[in-house]
Amino acid sequence: MTYNLMTCGVGGQGLMLVSNIIGIACAEFGLGIRTAETHGLAQRSGSIYTHIRIGENVYSPLIPYGEANALLGMEAIETLRYIEFLKPNGTIIMNNYIWQPVQSTFDRVKNTKESYLSIDTILTQLEKVTDKVHLVNALDVANQAGNPLTSNLVLLGALTKTKEFPIKLSQLQEIVPKVVPKKAIEANLKALLLGYKT
Amino acid sequence: MLSDVISKDKEKAFLFCNEAIVRGALESDVKVVAFYPGSPISEILDTFYQISDKFDIKMEIATNEKVALEIVAGASMGGQRSLIAMKSVGLNVASDTFFSLGYTGVNKGCVLVFADDPFCHSSQSEEDGRFFADNSYIPMLEPTDPVEAKFMTKAAFDISEKYQTLVLVRTTTRINHQSTIVPLEPLNRTDFEPRSFRETNRKYATVGSKARELKLKMLERRERIREDFEKSEFNKIIEGTEKMGIIVSGVSYNYVLEVCKKLKIDPPILKLGTTYPLPENLISQFIKNLEGIIIVEELSPYLEIKLKALAKDQKPNLKIYGKESGHFSEAFEYNIPIVFNVFKELYEINTSIEYETSVTKANKVKSILPVRIPVFCPGCPHRATFWALQKAIAGKSKQIAFINDIGCYSMLLLNQEIYPKLHADDLLLAMGATLGTGSGISLGVKEKVISIIGDSTFFHAGLPGMINIWHHNEDVVVIILDNSVTAMTGQQTNPGTGNGSAEDPKNKIQIEDVLKGIGFKNIVINECFDAINCVPSFKKALEEPGPTVIISRGPCALWNDRRKRKRGEKIQPFYVDQDLCRKCHTCMRDFYCPAISMESREKEFTDDNGKIWRGFSSHISPELCDGCGVCSIICPYTNHDERSEKDVIKFYEKKREVRHDL
Repeated sequence: MTYNLMTCGVGGQGLMLVSNIIGIACAEFGLGIRTAETHGLAQRSGSIYTHIRIGENVYSPLIPYGEANALLGMEAIETLRYIEFLKPNGTIIMNNYIWQPVQSTFDRVKNTKESYLSIDTILTQLEKVTDKVHLVNALDVANQAGNPLTSNLVLLGALTKTKEFPIKLSQLQEIVPKVVPKKAIEANLKALLLGYKT
Repeated sequence: MLSDVISKDKEKAFLFCNEAIVRGALESDVKVVAFYPGSPISEILDTFYQISDKFDIKMEIATNEKVALEIVAGASMGGQRSLIAMKSVGLNVASDTFFSLGYTGVNKGCVLVFADDPFCHSSQSEEDGRFFADNSYIPMLEPTDPVEAKFMTKAAFDISEKYQTLVLVRTTTRINHQSTIVPLEPLNRTDFEPRSFRETNRKYATVGSKARELKLKMLERRERIREDFEKSEFNKIIEGTEKMGIIVSGVSYNYVLEVCKKLKIDPPILKLGTTYPLPENLISQFIKNLEGIIIVEELSPYLEIKLKALAKDQKPNLKIYGKESGHFSEAFEYNIPIVFNVFKELYEINTSIEYETSVTKANKVKSILPVRIPVFCPGCPHRATFWALQKAIAGKSKQIAFINDIGCYSMLLLNQEIYPKLHADDLLLAMGATLGTGSGISLGVKEKVISIIGDSTFFHAGLPGMINIWHHNEDVVVIILDNSVTAMTGQQTNPGTGNGSAEDPKNKIQIEDVLKGIGFKNIVINECFDAINCVPSFKKALEEPGPTVIISRGPCALWNDRRKRKRGEKIQPFYVDQDLCRKCHTCMRDFYCPAISMESREKEFTDDNGKIWRGFSSHISPELCDGCGVCSIICPYTNHDERSEKDVIKFYEKKREVRHDL
């Protein structure tokens, strides 16, 4: 069985670290993995994604539409943007964070839109597709962990708790110290654990 | 991970394809590497940049791909194994030297990794570089994933030495930007030893009668390589029961395997890894007992045309399905749904899987989404430059012909709504083309021509254009956006970056010195973050006869932030004083920084004259703000000369760690 995870967000939110931790864990614990990433132009405050496919005999680096077991969204607008990849009633782990694109500010300045899109509106849309939406206040939890940059690990922790996810918390805890800089190990481990407990 | 790329004891590791290629080169004892950065191969350069000193590898970030190719070819001729990687359009730049290398050949293993970019993720054109192999008689390998990319890089060194020729490894973006678990083999590095060029006892010269002689040898060489490729392990036949087989190469192979599983079909598959010269006997054998063939390859019908030519003699009644039959497109990338739909039709399979349904359903809930196109980063010097330029041409935009070029500033083209006065989507061709096209346009039109070009592009392909502008006294305003690095591809150094330190002892080249040397008289140097004071120089340049050069200088924010962090400096964000903001929206309307957004609740402010300002204030996200301060300069209610409590946009008083990698 292949486990498909789509992660998405805005350039610079730390998606690459999430896929690296998962990838290195797979290499360490004997699981197959293939990922496809966004680099280059799209990183400039643009929309980014990573396709992560775990299992034996995974061929395509890209997840086919409607086959992702879970969608991990670091930002609300971008979570909705990749919804076609989620399988029917798949899991969504979404950061309670919205980063308005410059284009939306442009619309408000020009008075073509009265307000920004809200997380609530996005939630309503997501809930039309699945009833498994987990909203996580990742920044608050990351701050509790001691480093606001660890939101990504909070979400990964929350994902680890879902039944289908094939890597155990203890396995990730073994990998994190090998991947993040020394001075950030403690906060990242804490973020992962607190995320798991949310 | 970098530590895995250089690991001496691990047997396998989760590697990014570009890292796997570096690992392959390291295992092959590569000695000299040279590059010009470009997506999707930049990380090959970046990885080497971080490890080259650990392995006694000589590395150069060259001025352009042609120079870089000459460096690795020269190194190989001089007796050192060498590797270069470039993006598809980079091979266009290098092609003059490239074709000659087909004739002369090389000495020690010399490998050229080039990456096509189906879907134009980060390129100006979607070319199929496989025809370069066909046209140059230089052998080519095409991996399907990171594992094969590593093994092919290694094999390419051996083929190169065996046949004394450059060898191509052709990837696509979807291969380069893929990660998987890659087997690692021993590094077995040898010490760097200088050789003797004389001892190589070869002549690498081609022209006229010598070229004619070499051409015949090259044709012979191709046939010898073809014989080897007939037996290559990179070509693989998977037996099957269907009467219609599949021929496939590159990333599409993965889609084919997965789609066959999904549709529960069992066709014979020929996966080709040596795509020039093609193993014609192997292909003939494969098609012998089949009624039809589906060819799956992204971009041009390269294999399809060759198969048709082959089948005409070998099996004239073979049905061939591909692009020319209308089943596959020559445009963009493939994926599982695309291959699935073609196979479903041609193998006549009934299935319940409907990818279109997922997309249609998704599109309904997604209709509320705003676009998020890439924009200049917070703190980007270009935002300041183009703010000033828009001010300078206000009311005159119809009298301006604006010529765009390749770099971060290309994004102006995507940001048309934000920069309506520039019309930056009128013309953009290729690296440095802004100068030649700008000159040509100035000859034939009434408008004043503005050509923009970045510092790295200036060094890469701008010099001939600049010399031509001065030589012919063209009426062009050239704006050189000097942010010190090759920003778009990951802030690599360029000839203008070097600071002469022990860490970076390269000679720094000052753009204005080059221009003065050429003879330019009108050279203005602007500190671009001092945006208001840059406006007059732009205005003046538009009024006086050209050629005029304005160097708009300010460091790339991403690069500069990394330097600040290294020095232990904090980045001080600005904030909007909500009590004083007049809600005029100038900072948003004219500047469009991703760190500035509009408040959601209406507020009121009464000024000293009793005037009430009602509306939505601006807001600066401290985690995004880079502290460039340009918004405070352009705010009509902030005195940027003498800061005071009455200013609307202020520095954050309390120093605190803020997020800076966004």
